[in-house]
Amino acid sequence: MSTRFTKSTARNIFYGGAVFFFLLFVALTFDTVQALPKRDNRANLTEQVVRGKKLWETNNCIGCHTLLGEGAYFAPELGNVYQRRGPDFIKAWIKAQPTGVPGRRQMPNFHLTDSQLDDLVAFLKYSSEINTNHWPPNIEG
Amino acid sequence: MTSSTTATLRPAAGQAANVQLKYRSQAVAKPYFMAAIGLFVGQIIFGLVMGLQYVIGDFLFPEIPFNVARMVHTNLLIVWLLFGFMGAGYYLIPEESERELHSPKLAMIAFWVFLVAGALTIVGYLAVPYATLARITGNDFLPTMGREFLEQPTITKAGIVVVALTFLYNLSMTVLKGRKTTISMVMMLGLWGLAIFFLFSFYNPHNLVLDKYFWWWVVHLWVEGVWELIMGAMLAFVLVKVTGVDREVVEKWLYVIIAMTLITGIIGTGHHYFWIGTPGYWQVFGSAFSALEPIPFFMMTMFAFNMVNKRRREHPNKAAVLWALGTGVMSFLGAGVWGFLHTLAPVNYLTHGTQITASHGHMAFYGAYAMVVITMISYAMPLLRGREANSNRSQVVEMWSFWLMTIAMVFITLFLTAAGILQVWMQRMGDHPLSFMATQDQLSFFYWLREAAGVVFFAGLLLYIVSFFVRGDARD
Amino acid sequence: MQTKDLAAGTVRTVPGDLAMWFFILAELAVFGLFFAIYGVVRARQPALFAAGQAGLSRLSALGNTLLLIAGSGTMAAAVQDFAAGRSRRGTRWLLATLLCGGGFLLLKGAEFGGHLAAGITLSSNDFWMFYLALAGFHYLHVVLGMVIIAAVYRAARQGRYDAANHAGVETAAAYWHMVDLVWLVLFALVYVAR
Repeated sequence: MSTRFTKSTARNIFYGGAVFFFLLFVALTFDTVQALPKRDNRANLTEQVVRGKKLWETNNCIGCHTLLGEGAYFAPELGNVYQRRGPDFIKAWIKAQPTGVPGRRQMPNFHLTDSQLDDLVAFLKYSSEINTNHWPPNIEG
Repeated sequence: MTSSTTATLRPAAGQAANVQLKYRSQAVAKPYFMAAIGLFVGQIIFGLVMGLQYVIGDFLFPEIPFNVARMVHTNLLIVWLLFGFMGAGYYLIPEESERELHSPKLAMIAFWVFLVAGALTIVGYLAVPYATLARITGNDFLPTMGREFLEQPTITKAGIVVVALTFLYNLSMTVLKGRKTTISMVMMLGLWGLAIFFLFSFYNPHNLVLDKYFWWWVVHLWVEGVWELIMGAMLAFVLVKVTGVDREVVEKWLYVIIAMTLITGIIGTGHHYFWIGTPGYWQVFGSAFSALEPIPFFMMTMFAFNMVNKRRREHPNKAAVLWALGTGVMSFLGAGVWGFLHTLAPVNYLTHGTQITASHGHMAFYGAYAMVVITMISYAMPLLRGREANSNRSQVVEMWSFWLMTIAMVFITLFLTAAGILQVWMQRMGDHPLSFMATQDQLSFFYWLREAAGVVFFAGLLLYIVSFFVRGDARD
Repeated sequence: MQTKDLAAGTVRTVPGDLAMWFFILAELAVFGLFFAIYGVVRARQPALFAAGQAGLSRLSALGNTLLLIAGSGTMAAAVQDFAAGRSRRGTRWLLATLLCGGGFLLLKGAEFGGHLAAGITLSSNDFWMFYLALAGFHYLHVVLGMVIIAAVYRAARQGRYDAANHAGVETAAAYWHMVDLVWLVLFALVYVAR
C-alpha cells in the first residue's frame, strides 16, 4: 500500500485550518482592541490631532516619509520627529520647502496656513507618544 | 508536433472563429491581458523615475514629486495585477466550468469602466496636487485617501468595488451553473476574499493605531493571504494544461499548499504588528507564524518542478513552462527567503522601514504576482490569438525577456539589500548614528546600481512586448 | 493493512492521510518556535517566570496530563479495534476519547476562568503572555482535535469504516496524538521545570 493522500482530506484541512486560524486571528484582534487604550495615546486624540491626521493624509506625506516605519523610504521617519526636531523647527521646515538645492531631494510646498501647521504638529506629537515597544532604535528613526 | 493536438481541439458551440478556444467567451480575457501589460510598462517607467530621484533628488521636480511617482508606481502595479487576475478569471473559469461565461457583455463593460476609472485616477495623480484631488473627489464625505497603497480617491475605491462585484457575479454564475473543480473553487475563494478584504480600505479611524491595524487587513491579507490562493489556482491551471499531469494530483497538492499558506499567513499578519502601538505579544505570534511562511512557497516551487518533471506531454509553449517554473523559484526567493530575512522581531526592530523592506517588496511582488500573471498570459495569449503556441522565434525572444527581467530583479533586490544593510548599520547601530539624509548620501552607489538594473529590467519588458510581434513559422 | 505492510517488510507508510502530516508538521513547527522563544525569554527573566509558575496549579495540570494520556490510549484502542474489524467497540473508544478531551476542556477552562477572574490578560507581563498564549493556543487545538474526532465518530456511527477502510480514524488519531504530545512538552516546560 502506498502512502494514502487524498484530495478530500487535503480539502478538509484547508478549510478547517483556514477557519481555525482566522478565528484565532479574530480572537487576538479582539484582545488587541481591548488592550489598545493603554497604549495608543487616545487620551490625546483631540480635534486638532484629527485635523492634523487628515492633513497628513490629503497631502500624501506617506508617499515619501515613513510613520512608525510604514510608508515610503525616501524621506525621514516622522513617528519621532517631534522629539528629534521640536515643533518650531518642523513648522519652519515645512514652510521653507522646497529648498531648491540642485541635486538634493525636494519636498513640495503644501501652502499650509499657520493653524494647519499647528494641527499637523499636534498629530505628529500624538503619534510620537504611542507605545511602540521602544521603536525606533534611536532618535534618527 | 505529435502531442500538441490534444488539449484544445473541441470547438465551441456554434461557429467558433477561434479553434483554439474551448469557449468563445474566454476571448474577453484578451483585452484584460493587453491592459495589464500596458499598465505594467507604465509602472516600470515611473519606477525608473523614482530610482533616479533617489540619486538626483530634484529630477523632474516640481512636475512629478517623488510621492506622486511612487503613488503611480504602486497603484499601477496593483491595477495591472488586478487586470491580470480578472483576465485569468475570465479565461480559466469558463474552461473549468465547461460552459460559456455568464455574460461576456458585462465583462467588456466592466473592462472599460475599470480601465477608464484607472486612467482617470492616474491622470488625477499627475495633473493636480493630491490635496486638490482629495477635495474635488469628495474625500471629505468619507476620508479614505492618503494611506499607503490606498491612495485612490474614495470614488475610485467605490468603482473598484463595483467592478469587482460585477466580475464576481459573472464568474460565480458561471461556476454555479457549470462543473465545479478544485481550481475554480480556489480561484473564486481567492477572488471573493480579495473583494471582501478590500472593504477594510473604507475604514479609516482617527486613531492611528487602529487605522494601521486594519490597513493591514487589506494589504497583508491580500498579498500573504487570498492573493496566494489566486496565484495557486492560476499556477495549478497552467500546470494541468502544459504538463498533462492528472488533475487529481495537481489539485490535492494545491489544497495542501494553500492550507499551509493560510495556516502560517493569517496569524503571520502579526509581523506587521511589532512597532505600531499594538501589544507586545504580537512579536511572538508574528515571529513564530511568519517564520513558517516560506514553507508554502517552497512547496509551490517543488510542486511546479515535480509536475513538469512528471509531464505526460510536451506542450509546444515552452515559454509558459519557463514562466511557471520561474514563478515557483522567484516567489520562494522573494516572498519566502527575503521575507524570512527580516520577519523575526529582533531583526525587524533594526530593519523595519528601511531599504530591506523595499528589497523584499520588489522581489516578492515580481516573483509571486507579476510572474504568475505573465505565466497565465504566456499560456493563454497564443490560444486567444488562435494558435496553440507562438513560433519558436517568438518564444526565444520571450525567454530572453524572462531572463533579462528576472536576473535584473535579482540584482535590484541584491543592491537594495546591500543599501538596506548599510542603512541599518549607519543609521541605527553604534554610538554615533548618522541622520537619515546623511545615511542616504552614503548609499548612492547602490542606488545607481539599482537604477542600472532597473534599466535592464525595462529592456526585458520591452523585449517581452516585442515577442508578441515576432512572427516566424507557426511551429518550429 | 498498515501493520501487514510493516510485517511483510514492504513499504513503510505513515498512518492516516499524508495531507494531515503536513498539517501536523506545521503545527509542531509553530509550537516548537513558541517553546524556543519561551525558553529564551524565560532565561532572561528567571525571577518573573519563577513567580508566575509558582502561581499555577500543578495538581490541575497533572489531572489534565492524565486525561490527555488516557485520551491518547483510548484513541489508539479505537484505531486497533477498527483495524481488527470491531467497529462497534472502536466507536465506543472514540466516545471515550471525546470524554477525556471534554474533561480536559472543563478542567483547563476552570483554570483559565480563575486567571480571568484575577484580571490576568495577555498584556499582564511576559510570563502570563507566554503562559496564556501557549496554553490558550493548545486549548484551541484540543477543541479542534475534538471536532475532528466528533466528525469521525459520526461517520463511524453511520458505519463508514471497516477493517479495510478506516484511514479517517487513523488520520484523526495522528492529529490527536500530536495535541497530546504538545501538552506533554508544555506541561514539562511551564508547570514542572522551575
